[in-house]
Amino acid sequence: MEPEIKVVTKIEKTVVPTVPHPKPVQMNDIKIYVVSPSENFEEFKKEFESKNGGDAYIAISIKDYENLSKNFAELRRYIEQQKAIIVYYEEAVSPLPKTEKSE
Amino acid sequence: MFSGLKIAMVFVLLAGAGGAFMYVKNLQSNLEIARANNAKLEIAVETSEASLKLLKEDNARLNQLNDTLNINLSKSEAYGDELRATLNKHNLTHLANKKPGPIEKRMQNATNKLWDDLESITTVPDRVQSVSDGAGDQSSNKD
Repeated sequence: MEPEIKVVTKIEKTVVPTVPHPKPVQMNDIKIYVVSPSENFEEFKKEFESKNGGDAYIAISIKDYENLSKNFAELRRYIEQQKAIIVYYEEAVSPLPKTEKSE
Repeated sequence: MFSGLKIAMVFVLLAGAGGAFMYVKNLQSNLEIARANNAKLEIAVETSEASLKLLKEDNARLNQLNDTLNINLSKSEAYGDELRATLNKHNLTHLANKKPGPIEKRMQNATNKLWDDLESITTVPDRVQSVSDGAGDQSSNKD
């Protein structure tokens, strides 16, 4: 007697649950003063004192401001790329849409 | 003696007929199994083809996702490239020394825009799961 053939085909796809994204950032406003010693230093002092009293202030050179901007640009690039990669993985592990499945 | 031979022949014939009957029965049974196996194999082939089609579709989808990812990764470089080009193009120190007022306004606007952009790029994408109790949609960075 010929042996009976039993074929069992089953496609098992790993189901990876996606987790919620973190809450978006909420930035606080900052006020920038550009002060030129020969042009508006006295004006700045008056304006600053009227707003902040005799408080100390942090000065930053133009070069350092440029570096700060570049650093922020790098962080922004990293956030955007990280987010793109997360979205890629989320879509890759999500099950196929029903319309594609049924075709 | 002649009748004994006859009887023997009848027995031989009956045994032959019985053997033939059993042989045909066995053949029929094997044929049925072969037919059933054939049907199962056809179904198996169909299933395998369907699986292959599904895998191909999945592969195409992943390739498309990969292309989109590469486009988005490249796009993310744009802001930094633009900023570096602008900073290289202008002598900001000289401009700030000569026209601190207008430069201050531009720096303030650019900084405000950066904060807005950072808030915007950290919002939850439309296509993905929205935030739940684990990570609320309100920032803790409030006064």
